[in-house]
Amino acid sequence: MRSFNGQQKQLLVLLTPATLFLSVFFLGPLLIMAVYSFLEPGLYGGVEWSFYPWSYGRVLGWADGFYEEFDIVYLEILLRSAGLALATVAVTLLLCYPVAFWISRMPSRWKSFCIFMIALPFFSSMIIRLYAWILILRDSGFANQILLSLGIIAEPLDLMYSGTAVILGMVYIFVPFMFLPVYSSVENLDPKLIKASQDLGATPFTTFRRVIFPMTLPGVIAGSILVFIPALGNFVVPSMLGGAKVVMIGNLVEQQFLASRNWPFGATLSMVMILFMLLVVSFYLLKVMKKQRAA
Amino acid sequence: MRKLINHLMSGYGALFFIFLYAPVILVVAYSFNSNPVNVMIWKEFSFDWYINLFGGETNLSDSSAYVESTDQLFSALKVSLTVAAFATVVSTVLGTSVAVAIARYRFRLQGFYRLLLMVPMVMPDIVLGIALLIFFVGVGMNLGVTSIVIGHCTFLTSYIFIVVSARLAGMNPMIESASADLGANEWQTFRRVTLPLILPGVIGGALLSFIISMDDLVITYFISGVDSTTLPVFIMSMIRRGIKPEINAIATMMLMASVLIASAGIYFKSRKA
Repeated sequence: MRSFNGQQKQLLVLLTPATLFLSVFFLGPLLIMAVYSFLEPGLYGGVEWSFYPWSYGRVLGWADGFYEEFDIVYLEILLRSAGLALATVAVTLLLCYPVAFWISRMPSRWKSFCIFMIALPFFSSMIIRLYAWILILRDSGFANQILLSLGIIAEPLDLMYSGTAVILGMVYIFVPFMFLPVYSSVENLDPKLIKASQDLGATPFTTFRRVIFPMTLPGVIAGSILVFIPALGNFVVPSMLGGAKVVMIGNLVEQQFLASRNWPFGATLSMVMILFMLLVVSFYLLKVMKKQRAA
Repeated sequence: MRKLINHLMSGYGALFFIFLYAPVILVVAYSFNSNPVNVMIWKEFSFDWYINLFGGETNLSDSSAYVESTDQLFSALKVSLTVAAFATVVSTVLGTSVAVAIARYRFRLQGFYRLLLMVPMVMPDIVLGIALLIFFVGVGMNLGVTSIVIGHCTFLTSYIFIVVSARLAGMNPMIESASADLGANEWQTFRRVTLPLILPGVIGGALLSFIISMDDLVITYFISGVDSTTLPVFIMSMIRRGIKPEINAIATMMLMASVLIASAGIYFKSRKA
């Protein structure tokens, strides 16, 4: 029998609980889900234990060919979700980028206060923050009340249940995810490089385009990924602010599990989301590694 | 020109904070509005919705009160608190021990562990939620408090790991060598030197985990059983049934709890030892 030395024993004590826990309750479920996505959906919920790749076909439009015609409805939902998630990334970036510069120039006590105030919403209930927007956007909501009383509109506007409302809600939820990485890259900018660029006669715009923006790019990419992935898979925002009109892939997954009881198809859709995640994360890792190799 | 840009930036920044806080402040303000018909038309200041939630006597008619029985609300709160307490304790132990292992020992699988603990943070909640649902149903485990605790631990462990790792990285390793040189064994060094130094980080991370667990909606939504609804899931079902003024009062109290606990957590996390 192999004996462990002191260090190995301590390491074993430190790592075993977490390793066991995460293998059983994190990696295990993910693996089972991957297996499920290749099983045949049973007639009354549940699964048949036979190899069935058609759930993946169904995402792309081809189902098993027996009872479903070629239909790209799921692909459309997938693309719409990606579009809404990208729009969310763009808006959060536009919001956070200038603010990051503004805060980075503050005296340090104000700086930490502002960062605290931006991080704070992350720790408050998502459903309540969305509820606030329902109060504002619905027909008899705050926005309509104000517009009506100012006489700008005569009839309440339909502000809820649209793609715009969903984007607004997701921006509101995910702003801290974009701000913190962007801010840390802005904070780490080397003022000497900016000064050098100015001394060499670059216009402010050129300095921004050639020096400042490339140096903050890692933060921008990290923030974009942190917003894009949860936005893509979100189902609470579209179900609260999008109603039946704006269905995202997350709503589709929810339906498969709670209404249609087609678990394999729901698992397949999750696998598609994991695929998206792996794509963007590996893109990020490649970018970073390239940067590191260049440096 | 420069001045103009600075003014523009300040204006933009102010608007940003208004965007961030105005909606939530609106909810808080209108939780004191006595109008039972339209929550957003101000009538007069009152504590009625709060009194009503705690079962007190108010001038409100029975029909305007929404929560059929406040019992439901309090049982949801109880589930949330129980889950958050257990999940915080378990994930604090798991996350801290991995963070210490990675920061203080050299071993081959370090990269793997870092990746393993990063993935739950990046993965969409819904994916983890349904993977756990399939798993629990597959192994025949009843959905309830235990399943929610387990589910929360999978991502809270990562969170604790990140907070404690940051703390360990900011620590001077010479202090630990000094302890060893003075004849302390590894366990003594850990208990008397390392642990007190990382303790603010551990406490801060634990407080933040507690509040993240209290507020988690998506994962809980999939793995909570019929009789184990948590507060956020309960609130979502309330909102889906219709907007009633009590929600403002509940929301306000939840926001206050979040702000208090998160502030304490952030304070500890960034406190110098």
